Amino acid sequence: MGRCPGFRAACLLVLIVIMVGREAQADRLDLIQKRGTLIVGVKSDYPPFGMLDAHGRLIGFEPDLAAELARRLGVGLQLVAVTSTNRLQKLEEGAVDMVIATLGDSPQRRQIATLVEPGYYASGATAVAPPTPRLSSWTDLRGKKVCATQGAYFNRPMAQRFLLDLQIFNGTRDARLALRDGRCVAWLYDDTSFAGLLADPEWANYETPLPSMMISPWAIALSAKEQGSRLEQMISEAVADWHRSAWLIDVEKRWGIRPSQYLVEMRALWTRRQADGGLLCARLENGNWPAECRHKWLLKSADVGGIQHFGLLLKEQTGLNMTIIYDAYDRLLFLRGLWITLQLMVACIAGSLIVGCLGALAAESGFPGVRTCVQMSAALGRMTPPLLLIYLVFFGVGHIIVSRFGWTFDGASIVIVCLSTYTGCAIVSALLEAVSVLKEQQPDFRLGWRELPQALRLSYAAVVASLVNVVKATGMASVIAVPELVSAATAIVAEQGNPEVMMNVLMITYFLLVTTVVQIFNYLERRIPELGRR
Amino acid sequence: MAAAEIAALLLTWTPFLAGGFAWNILISLVAMIIGTIFGALLAWLRLSGHTPLAHASLVVTELTRNIPTFVFLFYLAFLIPTEFEFSGQIYAFPVWLKASLAFSVAVIGFVSDNLLVALQHRERHNHAAALLFIPSWTTYLLIIVMASSTASVIGVGEIVSRCNIVIAAVGGNETMLWVYTYAICYFLVFCFPLNWAMGCARRRLLTRVGVPAL
Repeated sequence: MGRCPGFRAACLLVLIVIMVGREAQADRLDLIQKRGTLIVGVKSDYPPFGMLDAHGRLIGFEPDLAAELARRLGVGLQLVAVTSTNRLQKLEEGAVDMVIATLGDSPQRRQIATLVEPGYYASGATAVAPPTPRLSSWTDLRGKKVCATQGAYFNRPMAQRFLLDLQIFNGTRDARLALRDGRCVAWLYDDTSFAGLLADPEWANYETPLPSMMISPWAIALSAKEQGSRLEQMISEAVADWHRSAWLIDVEKRWGIRPSQYLVEMRALWTRRQADGGLLCARLENGNWPAECRHKWLLKSADVGGIQHFGLLLKEQTGLNMTIIYDAYDRLLFLRGLWITLQLMVACIAGSLIVGCLGALAAESGFPGVRTCVQMSAALGRMTPPLLLIYLVFFGVGHIIVSRFGWTFDGASIVIVCLSTYTGCAIVSALLEAVSVLKEQQPDFRLGWRELPQALRLSYAAVVASLVNVVKATGMASVIAVPELVSAATAIVAEQGNPEVMMNVLMITYFLLVTTVVQIFNYLERRIPELGRR
Repeated sequence: MAAAEIAALLLTWTPFLAGGFAWNILISLVAMIIGTIFGALLAWLRLSGHTPLAHASLVVTELTRNIPTFVFLFYLAFLIPTEFEFSGQIYAFPVWLKASLAFSVAVIGFVSDNLLVALQHRERHNHAAALLFIPSWTTYLLIIVMASSTASVIGVGEIVSRCNIVIAAVGGNETMLWVYTYAICYFLVFCFPLNWAMGCARRRLLTRVGVPAL
């Protein structure tokens, strides 16, 4: 045997490697329990989520979660300060058991660490603005100068989704000063960082009037090796419990953090019950949470079935994010928009014809002065931009009527009235020109109800051109928040960040609608050649 | 609000609003120029006698006729990048140019159809009838000027967005009524005389052609 010491040494080495490997593969949970201490990485520079107190101890929202986990495990707790740059590295090295450090969940991070679902908090983009002028929705900022801080994950998508004119500054301080000096109307900022900023008296006057966007859930992170381990299961169960018992909302309150919509929604979701009385968010046989309880953008086609599977597969294979196919909420929003647009189109065609015909009849009624009056109004109506008319009626006149008489009108009917008036004026002019031609042909011609088809027949091309234009213009209803097709499409882009797909879908849908209307009018022209030729 | 107060308010903001209206006219003129160039090309191709090309131009004209400008405005606003790189230099793509491009699509269809008729008249040496294209073109410019107010929805600083800025700055509910009415006056004052002049021109040309006015 002495002949081959190298062989023995090699055997020993293999044995050691196997042993060490086994040791490394041993459950982290066992290690924690053997050690009697849970080591957690938390932030020290992110008040009030993770900060240092006067004695240099780590305190805050996240240390409280760590303490609760240690209590559940029945072990002691050791907190270690980590930063945004080293938190995942410390995890990989094994220096900490887990990291609870404002870490946003994303597919990229899932490649290098195990992120526990559900998330325990969430951050998003908010707009910090002075109290006046008051912002009521993100679309108020469209085309406006908005300050932003370099490097925020939401800068680019927010600018794309809401067409913001972003002024990007190097640091938080520069962006703050620019906002204070009025160089931008709002500051795009992380809503959780703003909580820390509010303590500064200089910021007491500023508000965050808009709902947070691009919500990114924060996850407790374990090393990549812990995927599916007992430790992951245990933490996942604990976080689910926290949501169900509203414990997280209590901790949030304890640290004086402004109530987060995310926690309220998660509590509702995790306590929702199915028809049979069981919890909706209960573990499936494969150990996963059901798809409804997971973050939509983290789902893969393999996690779901049916049409949702098809839609996600399309996204994974081609990058086309057709949320209106697989996301029930977006689909409903889009279909409802389509339905309202169809109604608007029909109502505007009918309204324009009624205004046009009544106007022409009034002009030809023979009462002194009426003809000039109608002709003047028609000319005025044709030269008023319909968008301004909608604003004038909706905001200007609408407000006066509400304050004097208490009557309110819904946006859709105001749009129908305004667009019908505008188009009706063009139809009046077209009909009156037809009437003057008819009068030359038949000197005793006089426009009445019976002669209307004849006049319409003669001015068919001009009237149809006006009606097609009003059909194209129905999208204007989106400016006063009527939930039609354009509103639905921009809302989906804002939520999902898929402008390429949604804008093409919108364009094609509208094009098909307009083409259909044109075809119907062409068909009518062919089918009723006898119209007006009695 | 007293009348004097309103008048003072509107007077204060007049240079700002008038500047906005200048943008409306600029956007519309640029749209007309782009649309006329491409529309003329289409009309010329339709007359050229090459059947496949003439057919293709007709299809393109049909396409432009059915594209809703308002939706196309959003389409371009979302899909044309705000900045683009060209030989190492970064250029901004101004939002007003996006608006002009959106409106020019409607102009292409209009010019393609109307210029075709005018060119056919000219071939038959019917010059007065061919000249009818000019008043039609000007009237269409007015339609585009009115449509240009919708550029405000994608953040172009034209008169309607400036109205909204004024309303936000001044506050008060009655302000809205007066500021919007004042803005409408700009359109009326600009469009009415031009429209009237073009109507006269059209009637004179038509009598030269010898067709009853329609």
